[in-house]
Amino acid sequence: MTRRIAILAVALLMASLAWAQAPATPPAPAPEPAAAAPATPPAPAPVAITDKDLTSVPAPSADARAKGDPDGSLTGTVSDVVVGDSKKGLTIGDLANQAGQNRVAINFVWTLITGFLVMFMQAGFAIVETGLCRAKNANHTMMMNFMVYGVGMLAFWLIGFAIQMGGVGALGTLGGTPVLGGEYSVTLFGKTFGLWGQNGLFLMHKGTYDVAVMVMFLFQMVFMDTALTIVTGTVAERWKYAAFMVSSFVMGAFTYPLFANWAWGGGWLANLGGNFSLGHGYADFAGSGVLHSVGGVTALAMGILLGPRLGKYNRDGKANVILGHDIVLVLLGCFILAFGWFGFNPGSTLAASGNGALRIGSVAVNTMLAGMTGSFGAMLYMWIRYGKPDASMSGNGLLAGLVAITAPSGFVNPVGSAIIGLIAGVLVCVSGEFVDRVLKVDDPVGAISVHGTNGLWGVISVGLFADGKSNFGGSWNGVSGNVTGLFYGDAGQLVAQLIGVSTLVGLVFTFSFVVNWVIDAVVGQRVAAKAELEGLDMPEMGAVGYPEFELKASAARM
Amino acid sequence: MAIAGLIVTLLGFIIAVASLGMSSSVSGRMVIVLVGLAVSLVGIIGLINPAYQKKAAWRK
Repeated sequence: MTRRIAILAVALLMASLAWAQAPATPPAPAPEPAAAAPATPPAPAPVAITDKDLTSVPAPSADARAKGDPDGSLTGTVSDVVVGDSKKGLTIGDLANQAGQNRVAINFVWTLITGFLVMFMQAGFAIVETGLCRAKNANHTMMMNFMVYGVGMLAFWLIGFAIQMGGVGALGTLGGTPVLGGEYSVTLFGKTFGLWGQNGLFLMHKGTYDVAVMVMFLFQMVFMDTALTIVTGTVAERWKYAAFMVSSFVMGAFTYPLFANWAWGGGWLANLGGNFSLGHGYADFAGSGVLHSVGGVTALAMGILLGPRLGKYNRDGKANVILGHDIVLVLLGCFILAFGWFGFNPGSTLAASGNGALRIGSVAVNTMLAGMTGSFGAMLYMWIRYGKPDASMSGNGLLAGLVAITAPSGFVNPVGSAIIGLIAGVLVCVSGEFVDRVLKVDDPVGAISVHGTNGLWGVISVGLFADGKSNFGGSWNGVSGNVTGLFYGDAGQLVAQLIGVSTLVGLVFTFSFVVNWVIDAVVGQRVAAKAELEGLDMPEMGAVGYPEFELKASAARM
Repeated sequence: MAIAGLIVTLLGFIIAVASLGMSSSVSGRMVIVLVGLAVSLVGIIGLINPAYQKKAAWRK
């Protein structure tokens, strides 16, 4: 008892410290001593530079370069600037073109590398889910996580990308041409409501065979795929593999891209600011709503449709704990996901140069802080409530903090991030208990609470904690100024966020439920009871995940 | 009852979107959106899920 009180006291102290540091109003700039200010020297008169001046810029000699460049002083000089016309030599135009290309190249490389990091998150999801499932389903769970990458990519390449980004217009930070300019819209309340994009089918349609479009496709594709893999966790250990393939294809082709278009592709949610003066419109920096909540509410629909695993609930409705088989995999997977999140959030600037993109440092720090406080929040909650610092829930707390900070990471300060993460860590535990014991929806990995509940919390937290300091090129969603939440003076932003939440809960859930209900009627979503009891590895995949382990288990039974 | 739940859930979304035309004040819109959100949650938690829980395997 004394120990629990001590833990509670530490938790309260941490929370109060975090709140105490949250500024009620932005700090006023320090006054400058007017009398002591030195006189500003006059600005030098501008000097026109001509092509002729460039001929005098010294370049390393051929002899010097022939000897190699061990200290790097001869590499990356005027000799490396691309010359358009060798007869004219280096011109001002060449320098300007080189500067433009350097900026876009930096942004290309940044966006691609962060996209590669997000792709690696599939490995994290795969081992977290497999570790939280029983060994008899290891092959099946791993294969779902493996093939969702291919199924999702196929759907997104064929249809999904065009729906999501086919009407977004020119990709400013990637220097793109405006080939993605085909948004289908309707008029409602006298305003234009963008519903889906139309350009970009197969990445060839209407001029979309374009370098910037390719970079955008890769980045958006790996985002979409993580949304799909959220669902596989909730309905693990009972989902028919063929139904998984069909359901995932539909989600990658339609469910995810539609909401992503409304939020990121120039659709109606993004334009709530411009059309209805609600802040900057729905603001979701890296996808708490677009990605995690879409996955989470779809997982909830699937969990209700398929029902719980056999043995999860007694006849009196009491829930049983079905332990996973490898906590080492679970926590290792959580670390991989946390690493991948540095692709998710900082990468969502789609730039490292220009348009306020240097904010990537702040975005990265916000991300790691929220993950940290999320894991603390969940660990302390479990320690106080159940007497032990539960490992899997600590991992889920880390993920919950990361999910929650995904939407606000570009708009909030470090203290706001820590608070958002701490709340997410507690919320994932409370929500998990509610889903498990009140709703009686069986969720082996806690995906509904981690991604659904905390995705929605992340969306709302933008409307509360955005501090109005981030400036991504002077506007967001076409509205001048910086995204500012309720605590910093803009209640309209919170309304825009709540309309996004209502869309996720009311529309995306319904759409997912109906689609999967139809698939259930046609293909059948749930495996037979015999297969479930035996484990899905043999009946569904034809091979067990751990053959030696099975032999040992057989010997033990003998 | 599940179909009724789906209709109620969707109705909640429609109420939230209708707030854009029903009110021009931020506080008015916020109230209407919150009502819409509550209606959607009633549809999911109060109607759809209980409809499926009634025929759950663990009750048999």
